[in-house]
Formats: sequence, C-alpha cells, structure tokens
Amino acid sequence: MSNQLKILETEISGLKLKSPLILASGILGVSYSSMKRVIDAGAGAVTTKSIGPEPRKGYKNPSIIEIYPGTFMNAVGLGNPGIDNFISEIKKIKELNIPLIVSVFGDTNDSYISIAKKAEQAGADAIELNISCPHAEVASIGIDKDLTYSLVSDIKKKISSPILVKLNPNVTDIGEIALSAEKAGADAVVAINTVAALKIDINTKRPILSHGSGGLSGKAIHPIAVKKVYDLYKILKIPIIGCGGVFDWKDVIEFILAGASAVQIGTALYQGPKIITEINEGLTNFLKENGYKSIKELKGLAHEFKTQEVPDFD
Amino acid sequence: MTENSIQTVKIKKIINECDGIKTIIFNVKDSDLMQNKKLPKSGQFVMIWVPGIDEIPMSISGYDEKGNWSISVKNVGECTNTLHELKVGAYIGVRGPLGNYFKIPKEKLKNIFLIGGGIGLAPLKFFASELYKENINFTLIEGAKNESELIFVDEFHKFIDKDSNVSFCTDDGSYGLEGFASDIFKNIIKDYSQEQLSNTIVYTCGPEIMMYNVFQICEKYNIELQASLERIMRCGCGLCGLCVLDPLGLLVCKDGPVFSSNELRKIKDFGKNKRDFSGKKIPLNY
Repeated sequence: MSNQLKILETEISGLKLKSPLILASGILGVSYSSMKRVIDAGAGAVTTKSIGPEPRKGYKNPSIIEIYPGTFMNAVGLGNPGIDNFISEIKKIKELNIPLIVSVFGDTNDSYISIAKKAEQAGADAIELNISCPHAEVASIGIDKDLTYSLVSDIKKKISSPILVKLNPNVTDIGEIALSAEKAGADAVVAINTVAALKIDINTKRPILSHGSGGLSGKAIHPIAVKKVYDLYKILKIPIIGCGGVFDWKDVIEFILAGASAVQIGTALYQGPKIITEINEGLTNFLKENGYKSIKELKGLAHEFKTQEVPDFD
Repeated sequence: MTENSIQTVKIKKIINECDGIKTIIFNVKDSDLMQNKKLPKSGQFVMIWVPGIDEIPMSISGYDEKGNWSISVKNVGECTNTLHELKVGAYIGVRGPLGNYFKIPKEKLKNIFLIGGGIGLAPLKFFASELYKENINFTLIEGAKNESELIFVDEFHKFIDKDSNVSFCTDDGSYGLEGFASDIFKNIIKDYSQEQLSNTIVYTCGPEIMMYNVFQICEKYNIELQASLERIMRCGCGLCGLCVLDPLGLLVCKDGPVFSSNELRKIKDFGKNKRDFSGKKIPLNY
C-alpha cells in the first residue's frame, strides 16, 4: 500500500497529493460525509461545490441528465447553501487530513474575496475560482482576459492559499485567458469546465433542461479537455489540472502525457466512489509494469513527439 | 440510452384512486427505456419530468409485461398539481428505474409486515404484488389521514388471503381503527414470543416520522426493518449529492431509497434532517 501511494504521489502548488485524482467541483460536494466517501476511496484531494455569498437554489429540474452513456449535461445554476452555512462542512472535512479545495464564486471581485477568506479561515487548503460555469452569470469573467486578470490579482493580494483558476472552454482562445490568470499570480489552472450544449426532446419539441442550455461533461468531452491541456502546457509555467471525462486509469495517463500535473474526476462518480480505488490500482499497475517510479515522470511526454504541421500534397 | 436519460412517453391511462391521488400509467415499450431491458422492482423510483414545470422523484407503483409502468401521485405541489391536470395522451419525461429495492427475505419468515402511510403505499402495493406472485403471505397495516385518503384497499385485499391480516387506520377514525399505523403494529407484536419476533421482518414507506416510530419499535423488539426514504434530488444517480444522509454519506438515489436497520441505526439524519434545493441542511418538516 505504501508503495502504491508513493508511486502516485504528486504536488500542486504546495498541496501534497497521495494520488493525482482530485474530486471535481459540483459532484457530491455538498456534505462532508459524501466527500469523506470519495476520500476513503483514495482521492488525493477534494473540491467542494462552488460556494457563493448566500443560499441559492439554482435552476429547477431537469438540471442533470445523461445524454449518451457516460456523458451528462447539467444546468444547476450554482445552487449552493451559501458560505455561512457551509463553514461547518469545511471544518469537518478538514478533520480528514486531505487537501481541501473550496470552489468559490461571487458577483464582484470583493465578494469572491470575502467568500475565499471565510473558506480559508475555516480551513481550506486552496481556493478554486469558478469563473467559468457556462450556464451562469460568472461565465462572463472567464471569457474575458482582463476581467480574469483583475479578479485573480485582487484575490492574490488578500488570500495566501494557492489559487486555482477553473477555465472555461467556451472561448475563442483559452490560452490567452490562462496566460492572463498566470500573469495575475494564479498558482494553477484547471482545464476544463463543462462545454456549452443543448438537448431538445423531439416529442415535446422543447429543450429538456429547465435552463435550456447546459454544460456537457463526461466521456464526450475527454478528447476536448486533453487537447486544451496539451495546448496550455506549451504556453504556461504554472501547473495544469486536467478535468473532463476521466473514467479509467488510461484517461488519467493521457491527461498527464498531455501535460497535466493532476486530474479532477466528477461525472464518472455516478458509478460510485469505488471507481477512484480502481483507477488508483490501474495507475499503479501501469507505472510498475513500465518501470516508472513516479507518475510525475510521465508529465508532458506527448510533447516529445513532433506532430505534422504542414499537410502532404500529392 | 441509459436509465439516467430522459425519455418522453405518452400518458396511457389515469386512475382516480381517491380525492387527491391519481395513478398515472404510461407505456415504455416503444421508448428507449426498454432498450436497457431493466424491469422495475418494488421500491425503485423514476424521475418524472413534467415539461415546462419540474422533474421530481416518484416511486414506481407497478408495471406489467406489456411495458405499462405506473406511478401514483398525490397533489402536494406545483409539479404534482400539474401532473394531476394532464390528460391521457400528454407527454411526460421518464428516467429510470433508479435506486435499490425491497428485498424479499431469503429464508421463509412467518411474519412479514407492510406498514404504510398515505401515498407511501404506492411502492408497498407494488411490493405486495411481488410477494403475492411468490406465494408469500404478509400482514398489511395501512394508515391515512381519513377515509377519503385510504388507497389501494381492493388491491391489497386481492393479495392477502386472510382478512385478519389487514388493518386500516385513520387519524380521525373515519375508517378502520383510530390512530397511527405504528401503534397498531406495536399492539400486534407486543405479545409475540422471542421466536416469533426473530421470525419477523417489516417493510415501511410513508411519512418519515411514521417510519421513524416504526423503526424505534423494531429496534426495541429487535426486528429487521427496510424503510424507503425520500429526499430532494437533482440527478437521481449519485452526482449532485443533495439526497446525502449524514454521517455515512449514503445517497437516497443510489444507496437507497430502501435502507435496512443496519444503516438506519447509523443515519443521524433519519427522522430529523433533509437538504433543500440549495444543499442547506434543514429540519425534516420544514
């Protein structure tokens, strides 16, 4: 067991992870008790649901549905109990001695700061900035490099914990926004949030989600996320956390080869927390069989290969 | 498609069970729901989408081999009120079957009790039909606010061979005995021998306070219990976490809705707390 832990150990901006698998925001992140199950299954860190200034019910149902096997679409609309009701949950997770990332959102830079401060005081080890929920108003920050810079640099002045910035894939140039976050002092980026999408029921002829459009997650977005991580690795100095469609250990390896230092897992948990245990086992076996002493050795290896830039003619 | 994908189907038949409760039957034979080849089991639920209104979890109250599934709905809010207004031929969305189910005891137990309150009788009627198919006798205790809210009386009589094994009670005494289902249960078992008690199992669904009372009695007499719980949920499949039960982190949608004594003993939220749509913990009867 100790061997397995060592080979999977990694580090993100000072956070020591016993496994590169981090619970993604929005999944099972309402109560300490469901996050404990994810930790017990072997997660290296957990991210809470995005927490805002006050209780918010979000969009009505249908708000989370499966589109294809393993691919989901959601429009929860940042439903959350509000930071003051959430402090007790943060304190209980802290007792479990696993890095805790609190995801926050606000309506102004100051409200982000005040929530992050409360979370930090309650015990958060890192803050993830949700500037990218594709079906809520905060998306406006994550699609603009100047707003992103302003928010991240303001937060960095007041918060000493590592700041992770979750990136919105629904932009023309994700690199420009990621660079802006890095320049403002972000400690890492998480790529990617869900991909804007729409599902229409052909019988009733109406969009199914109550909000209409939603964010796609799971299997269908994995190759999109790998591409974003690959592109970002070429231009960023700060670590990248891959997020999107991790269902088995191979998906994790792929992210790391593309340049991720760790990954987040969310949608796949509909199969139960045991999937995390299985992925850790699969990763350990793969690394041992191929003679690696640490998963860190694989980081960015896909970049060693030249890809064809100019097509062949004739 | 999977059980977590919404399929829209037409309402085929509507039965008025009583004032305020309707059974809605829809056929899933030609929908993608049948591609899963997953037949519902009693205790399982479906997420029912009323287009333009909301999507809510509902117990399955029965099905047949022709692909007719049914839910039984009490009009208690915006979504269920709209469901009551829908006519045959209207579309509703269905996801399911979801969650776990009542488990028929492997060994032949002599005393099987079904204790239900109000609309909680819906999955118990389904369970009774499964017991009947297996030739297993049981005792039913059904409670309701008053006579006009007692449901499935004829159906249950069909599944039970002896009339002495059926007890109806109402809060106001307008039908059957006056009082609560849990009190009637206590009265029946109080003279049981140790052997009879260890030969007893209880299945319950209804208002959580009723189930909590039944649980206390079962604990006192060391009787095994399976209770079907209800919580607010978004996904119905283990992602949103709104239906979490502290401190074990069990999810009503995935680990439940049916929980056994072993679990109920450790669930501090049982009979006390639920989470609202924001995820905030609130008292059960808020």
